[in-house]
Formats: sequence, structure tokens, C-alpha cells
Amino acid sequence: MFLPFFYQLRDQGIPISLRHVLEFYQSLEKGLAPDLDRLFILMRLIFVKKVEHFDTFEQTFGAYFFGVEGGGIPRFSRQAWEDKAFQNWLEEEIAKGSLSEDDLERLSLPELLQRFWEVAMEQRGKHRGGHTWVGTGGTSAFGHSGADREGIRVHGDSQHGSALKVIETRRYMDYAASATLRAENLRQVLAALKHMAPAGPPTELDVDETIDRSCRNGGEIELVFKRELRDRIQVIVLLDNGGASMRPYLDLVKLVFGLMRDHFRDLDYYYFHNCVYGCVYSDPQRLTPYLIHHLVRRDPETRLIIIGDANMAPTELMLSNGAMDYFSKVRIPGRDWLTQIRNHFSHSVWLNPIPRSRWSRESQTIDRIGEIFPMEDLTLAGIRRGVEWLNSGAPPRKASRQRAVGS
Amino acid sequence: MQFLGTDKYYLNPELKEIVNISTAMEKPLLVTGEAGTGKTQLAFEIARALEMTLEEARCKSTFKGEELCYVYDTVLRLNDSRFGTEDSGRNVNDIWDYLGFGPIGRAFLAEDRRVLLLDEIDKTDSDTQDNLLDVLEDGSFIIREINHKVKAKYMPIIIITSNAKRELSDPFLRRCYCHHIPFPSMEEMSEIIRLHYPEVPAPLMDSALAIFYHLRQQGFEKPPATAELLDWLGALQLNDAKPPITPDRIPFLGTLLKRTQDLLQHKGVERENV
Repeated sequence: MFLPFFYQLRDQGIPISLRHVLEFYQSLEKGLAPDLDRLFILMRLIFVKKVEHFDTFEQTFGAYFFGVEGGGIPRFSRQAWEDKAFQNWLEEEIAKGSLSEDDLERLSLPELLQRFWEVAMEQRGKHRGGHTWVGTGGTSAFGHSGADREGIRVHGDSQHGSALKVIETRRYMDYAASATLRAENLRQVLAALKHMAPAGPPTELDVDETIDRSCRNGGEIELVFKRELRDRIQVIVLLDNGGASMRPYLDLVKLVFGLMRDHFRDLDYYYFHNCVYGCVYSDPQRLTPYLIHHLVRRDPETRLIIIGDANMAPTELMLSNGAMDYFSKVRIPGRDWLTQIRNHFSHSVWLNPIPRSRWSRESQTIDRIGEIFPMEDLTLAGIRRGVEWLNSGAPPRKASRQRAVGS
Repeated sequence: MQFLGTDKYYLNPELKEIVNISTAMEKPLLVTGEAGTGKTQLAFEIARALEMTLEEARCKSTFKGEELCYVYDTVLRLNDSRFGTEDSGRNVNDIWDYLGFGPIGRAFLAEDRRVLLLDEIDKTDSDTQDNLLDVLEDGSFIIREINHKVKAKYMPIIIITSNAKRELSDPFLRRCYCHHIPFPSMEEMSEIIRLHYPEVPAPLMDSALAIFYHLRQQGFEKPPATAELLDWLGALQLNDAKPPITPDRIPFLGTLLKRTQDLLQHKGVERENV
């Protein structure tokens, strides 16, 4: 009787595994769930490992075991997004003014859906059977609208709210759907990024050396201490946070960047727009400059990660007055700045949110920058290769060609 | 064997079930929640209620995991080999005389079931947590120097606490039972206060609680927690404070707000109100 419930949990995005299921049956045999209340606690303990999932679990449990009307919260699936009912609702809400454009910007997609669902539940309670589109229980929320596969276009020709623009790029849905899996994998990849170096005061006894010296001393003990091997990795992340071209990748970049910030104790990050000229900025609004001059005086062992789409007007990269900011007095082309950074940090990589297959189509500057920095895309495989670049500190593959371009 | 709470500790019925389930399933229980929700105290109370010995490990960022299991005292052995053991009773040829056990080691080797507390596990780095994974799951570790496996005679009741300053790895979470202790509601809080100060007059308590929860909502950097509230109530009682207490004149404010920034902010809010 529990198996369908387990699948519902998975559908709702709670990552449960066979191991947990077996554990659950084992606990049943021990008689740990004599009543529904304790079954609830037991299941939550076994299946839910993160606070973020508590609520989802409770909803799903309520729906399954208590028959709370409506079958819990709907799946956040693409079908739901493209569903007519949802779109109609959004349109209505906007027309009524109960959802402002600000709300649309502020609310995440699942939050919007959640709201819709709450309203739907309410309505269903009021006029029973009136709204056939709610479906009758179960988790298949709104049925499939099949024909309408163009995504949501409630708001005219997408001149408004950026949230809706993002909805239109289908890519977003895919990330949202598999976010849990990705975060976990990503963490493992990042864990491979290490820089072990002796550090701190010499506190660890070097047993071999001690014995060796003591023997040479004629048995008189001489203790030799060495410094511990510690992970001394320092990371600097330069983040392209400007420009419309980065917009569709916002969530992906956020995910990667957020994980990096959690993972590395010693991480500095700076922002730039499109290309680097003279300075990067320590705040997202790009008001406080941090000079490249200072940046290239940092420890060259520091791992440098640049996240950006490398997509800009060729002039921005190649011309000495190419900087987008008209007031910028900098007269060195972006390419030279990048080369300077690259030459200082031998362990550096450029991570590009645009999928690799589209690089050459998207912009010619991507290839140009790829000649300066080793460039990878923001897929799991790409980041894994990026970590390899960072660990090995190998020169860029096209080093010879880079020189040719630079001269 | 059932854990039912003690006279000094308010036990939420849900948490009680959780402790009993993880005890029965022999799984480590990871308790998260903000400071002052009684995470660490839980382990002490379990040990007290079930009359077990508590093995306590307060984690430090320098821990590598192994020292929680055992420590091999190389220097002492070297010293003994050079100067002799005299009448210390140690035998230089016997490595066991130079092995010391940490809290995990002691809990595993004990002849009785113990409570093992790993406090603030999030302070250690993720490698350490990974090292501890297998140890805690299998109830065994290996003394590398002699390749000897130490297996737990009785699987201890393992309580792990975390302030969630840094995220724990997914594999680690997978192998624990996780419970997030929400901050006590006003009703629960008055129960907690009753346990500590049975004779606080009701009007004073209500007034104090109102102020306390009001302060918690001000978005301070370090919002006052249970420990602060209890200290404050103690101070109020000693000085025979009379209700009602108003937000603009809180006696012993320093016991509730610990950061200068928060104190200043509170005073600022006050001025605006006046």
C-alpha cells in the first residue's frame, strides 16, 4: 500500500532511494509505526533529509493518507506550466490586479504555481464540480493540454516582467525539474577541487624522519615535526552579472555560484559586465571598483574561475576604446586585460553558461576568449573538465595560437 | 527502553517519538535548528533519562575524524623506548599501551550502551564528515597502525548537532535521521519557563514572553533565544520586576541583545516610536 506513495514523493522532488524504502520496511517490522501519527514521523525521518522538503512531504502525506482534497500540491512539470487553466488564471489575476508585475518578478515559478493551486482548491471547495479542469484527485494536476506547446505567453509580447520571459525559455524548466540531482552531483565535482599544501605551524610528528635522525644521533631522540598537509585552496570567481545576454542563464549561474560559495571557505568574488577593462567590481551593482592591477598581485596559486557568456560585440573585445561605458578612460582592449589575468593565474578557467554546441553560432567572441582561457560550459561534464584545468594548471590548449593572435 | 523527557527539559511529543525511533533503528540522529532550541541539551537529557553514560565530542575545524576514534601516542612510545618505562607499567613492545581512545572509540568499546554526542558537526570540513560516515554507520573503525578493527559492542545512541552554518554533504544526510527543531511556540516556551522557574507570576511571564517574541521579529543579527530569555527572566525575578514591561523600557536589555549593532538598532526603533 505504500509503494505508490513513494513514487509520489519522488514526483514531488524528494530524492528517495531504494535504500530508504528497505529501511522503511525494516522499521515496520520492528513495529515502529503503530498508528498514523507515528507512521508520519517515521516516514519523515527516513525519507526527508532536508528542511526544504519538509513541507512538500507533509502535503503529500496529507493527500495520500488523509485524503486531503485535491491530492496535494501539483507537480511542477512542464505540462502544468503550459496548461491552459494556469495561463487563464494568470491572465485573470493580472487583469484583476491581484497579481502585479512586481509579484511576477518576485515570485519564483513554483510559488506562482502554488498560488494558483491554492486558489483552485478554494474554488473547488465553493462550487463543487464547477471547475472540471482541476481534475479529480491524484497528482496529475491539470491534465495535458497537448496542443499548446509554446510556453506561457500571458503577458503580450514579452515586453513586461522578466520572470515571464524566463518562462518562455524552455531551458529553465529543465533545470528546475532536475535541480536536486544537479546540485548533488555538482557538489561532488567541486569537492575534487583541492590544493593540498603544507600549512600552519609544524605540529605533526614526522615519524620516519624522527627515527632516522634519532638513529644517526646514536639513539638520542630527536623529534622532527612537519607542517600538516591542508587544503589551502583559494578561489576567486569573476561573475558576469550584466547584460541581457546573461539573463536566461541566471538560475543556472546562481546555482553554480551558490554552491561554490558554500563549498570554498576562501572565496572572493567580483562582478564585471561583458568583458573586463581595468577593474572588476566587488558589488553586484558594479559601483565599487577593484583594479585588475591589484587582482594580478594576488597569489598566483589562487584558482580563478570566470563565469560569463563571453558574448559581446567584437569591438568590445578587440578595440582599445571598446569599453561599453562611455566615460571609461581605459584605452586598452578587453582582450589584453584578459590575457594579463590569464598570464598571472595559471590555474584559471572560463565557465560559459551557453551550451558548447552553440558557441560558434552564438558569437565569435566566444572563440576568441576561448583562445585565452580554457573554456568549458556549465554542464556537469564541463565543470568536471574545468576542475581538471584548475587542478592541473595546464596552459591553454591553443597556447601557440594565442601568441599568434596576441602579437 | 523509552525516552520520555526529564524534569528539566521540555520535550516536544514529536521529538520524543523521533528519539525513540532512531534509538530503535540504531541510526544517528542529526538535529538542526537555531541556537537555543536545545539541540545539545537533548543528548544530555537522553543520557540522564535512560541512565547511560554520555560520550561527548565538541567538534573543531581542525578535526580529521580519526582522533575522535583513537589517538596513537608516538612521542610517548619513542620516549619510553629511549628512557625506559620505569614503573609506569607500560610495555614498549605493546602498542595497545600507547593507544588512547576518543569519544567514538570509548562509546564503541564500552560494555554498556552509551549516548554519543557529536556537537556542531558543521564546524568540521566535509572530508572529516565523510570519514565519519562509515564509522558511524557500521559502528566500527580500524586502527591503521596495527590494522585492527574495533567494532561497537553496543551501538551507541548517536546525536549529532549542526547549526547549519555550512551545508552538510548529501551522503552524510542520507545516512542520518534528520530533524529540524523549530523555534518553540509561545505555549511551548511557557512550558519551558515553568520547568526552570516554577514560581514566576503569570502576568510577568506573559509580559516577558510578549516582549521576547516581539524582539525576535525585529530581524536582529542575533535574535534572543531560549537561553537569553531564561537569563533575562532570572534577572527580572531577582530584581522583583513588575509587569507590564513595555518595549521602550526593557530592563536588563543586555541579557537579551548581545550585539552592539542590535542594541543600537533597537534604540533607533524606539526613538522612531517615540
